[in-house]
Amino acid sequence: MIFWEIAKRNIRIHMLRSSLAMLGIIIGVVAISSMGILGNSLVASVSDNLKSVGDSVIVTPYAGGGSGHFGGGGGGQSVSLKITDQNFQQIKRVSAPNVAIPVYTTSDHMKIGVGSDDIVAPIYALPTKDVPDVMKLQAGDYNNGNSGCLVGSTFAKDHNLKVGSRISIGTGGDKGSLRVTGIIEERGMSFDISTDNALIVTPEWFENAYDRSKDYDEVVVKVKDGDTATVKTSIEKQLNKHKDNKIVSVMDSKATLASIFEAFGMVTTFVTAIGGISMIVAGVSIFNIMMMSVNERIKEIGIMRSIGTQKKEVMSMFIYEAAIIGVIGSVIGGILSLVAGYAISVLMLQTTKYLFTLATAISVVEGVGFGIVICLACGLYPAWQAANMNPIDALRHE
Amino acid sequence: MADIPVMSFEDVVKVYPLPAGDVTALDGVSFRVDRGEFISVMGPSGSGKSTLLNMMGCLDTPTSGDIYISGTRIGDMSDMELTNLRRDRIGFIFQYFNLFPLLNIIENVTFPMMLKSQKSVDPERGKEVLRSVQLDEKLFTHTPTELSGGQQQRVAIARALINNPDILLCDEPTGNLDSKTGAGIMDLMTELNRNGTTIIMVTHDPHIAEYSRRTILIADGRIVS
Repeated sequence: MIFWEIAKRNIRIHMLRSSLAMLGIIIGVVAISSMGILGNSLVASVSDNLKSVGDSVIVTPYAGGGSGHFGGGGGGQSVSLKITDQNFQQIKRVSAPNVAIPVYTTSDHMKIGVGSDDIVAPIYALPTKDVPDVMKLQAGDYNNGNSGCLVGSTFAKDHNLKVGSRISIGTGGDKGSLRVTGIIEERGMSFDISTDNALIVTPEWFENAYDRSKDYDEVVVKVKDGDTATVKTSIEKQLNKHKDNKIVSVMDSKATLASIFEAFGMVTTFVTAIGGISMIVAGVSIFNIMMMSVNERIKEIGIMRSIGTQKKEVMSMFIYEAAIIGVIGSVIGGILSLVAGYAISVLMLQTTKYLFTLATAISVVEGVGFGIVICLACGLYPAWQAANMNPIDALRHE
Repeated sequence: MADIPVMSFEDVVKVYPLPAGDVTALDGVSFRVDRGEFISVMGPSGSGKSTLLNMMGCLDTPTSGDIYISGTRIGDMSDMELTNLRRDRIGFIFQYFNLFPLLNIIENVTFPMMLKSQKSVDPERGKEVLRSVQLDEKLFTHTPTELSGGQQQRVAIARALINNPDILLCDEPTGNLDSKTGAGIMDLMTELNRNGTTIIMVTHDPHIAEYSRRTILIADGRIVS
C-alpha cells in the first residue's frame, strides 16, 4: 500500500534521525533482554546447584532462635547442642516411610601423604546404608569398612586424591589413617551435607575417633513419599510440643529453595526494570521524532486530506513509520542481547550452558515485544494528531 | 438527470465565532454550477473567496444553508463521507502544485486512484492521463522537485483528473507560474472544459478569468454579480 511506501521512504530520507531513534530502541531491548537472560541464567545455575537438596528436611538441635543451619563445616560448634538417640527415633518414626539419616559433623586437621601440608576439612559421618540416598559416586565404592572414607570431588581434585589414597586424620594423625574408597560426584551447594570439600566416614569410626555416642549433630530426612512441608510439620509437632521448650529446629529445603528462587526472581525483575528505564528514554526519543515528522509534513497531510485521504489512512502512515523503526530496532536489539547475554554469562557465571534455554528465548521475545509496543505506543499520539488536523489549517501551513 | 446541477449553493452562511466577535465570511450565498461549465470566482482579499472554495471542496460545512454536490446534500455528512466525496467527485488544483515529494510522478498521479481502489493500481492509467496533459514521458519516473513549475502543475492537473471527478476546483492555478507557462496551463484547462470537464477557478487575475465562460464576483461574503 502507498502509505507503507511513504513511511519507508520518509525513514530513508531521514536516515540519520531514524537510525538514532533505532539506536535508542536497540539499547533499550539489549538492556531489558540481557538483564532477563542474566537473571534467568543465574536462577538456572543456582537451581542446578541446589536441585539435589529439594527433597530434604533437615533437623538440627534448637539453638534458641532461627533455623538457619546450612549443613556442613560443623567444626567448633557448641558440643552441648545435640540430637539424642531418643529424639532421632521419634524423628524416624514420624517421618516413616521416608528415610531419616543421623549425621555427625566436625572438622579436623589432616594430612595427605608424607610431607604434605596440614589441612583442615569438614568430616561427616552417616550410616553406610544411607549414603546412596544422599550422594552418588563418580569413582570407587561406598566404604564398608571402618578404615575407609569417601571424599568430595573438589577435595579429591584439589589434593590429587584417587581411590586408594590415604589420609591421616587429626593433629599428627592421632585419629588414625583412612583409605579413600570412593570419590563423590559434585553436589554443589547444599542444605544438608556439603560434600564437595568434605570427607565422609562411617559412624563407628567417628564415634570411636571423637568419643561420641548416638548424639547427632543433625538428622536429614530424605522425603521420597509425600511433601516436605508435611514431614516438617509432623516432626515439629512431635518434638516441639512445648513452645517454651523447643528441642529441634526443622528446615524444609523445598520451602527454603522456593524463598531463594523468589528472591532471585525479584532481583531479575528489578534489574529488568532498570533496563526498562532505558526503553522509556528510547520511547521518548521515538515520540520526539514522530512529532517532528508530523510537524514537518503538516502541509502534506493537508493535501492528502483534501484529495480524499481518510483520517485512518493518515494515521496508518505514521504508525507504519513508528512500527518500522520499532521492529528493526527491536530485532537488532534482540540479536545483540543474545551476544550481550553470552558475554555476561561468560564473565559472571563462567559458563554459557544456561544461555540457550526457553527462559532466554522468552527474555529476548519479551524485550523485542516491549520495544515494538513502546514504539507503537509512542507513535500513536503523533499519528492521531496528524490524522485529526483540520485540513484547511494544514493546507495553509507554510 | 440532465438538469441536476453539479454543484449548488442555497442561501449558504458561514460564521466563524472568534473571541473578538463572530465573523461572517459568507452571507446568504446562492448559485448553481451546471455540468460542463467553466466558472471563475473573483473578488478582493477578505471577500470570502477562500471560504467559498473550502465549502465547494467539501473541506468545510456551512453554518446554515445547503450545499449539494451532484444532488447530494453535504450538510449532514460525516468526515468519512465528505472525504470520500472529495476523493471521488472533486479534483483539486492548487497554486503551489502541492505534489508529494516522496512519490514519483506516476505515483503522485495515481495516488487518488489508490485511495479509491485500496490496492495497487495499473500505472498505465496514470501514464494515459499524464499524456493527456501533455507531459513529456521521460519525466514520468522523476520526482516532483526535478520538474519545472509548469510541468508540476500539469502533473497536479493529471492527479486531479485521475478519478474522473465531476468538478475541477482550481485555486489560482497560474499564480505561481510565468505568464507564458500560465497561458499553456489555461489552454490545457480550456481544452479539458471543451471535452466536458466542469471547472471552477478562483483567481485574482482578470486575464486568467477571461478563459472562463462565467464569472462570479464576490465581495463581503456576498455574490455581487
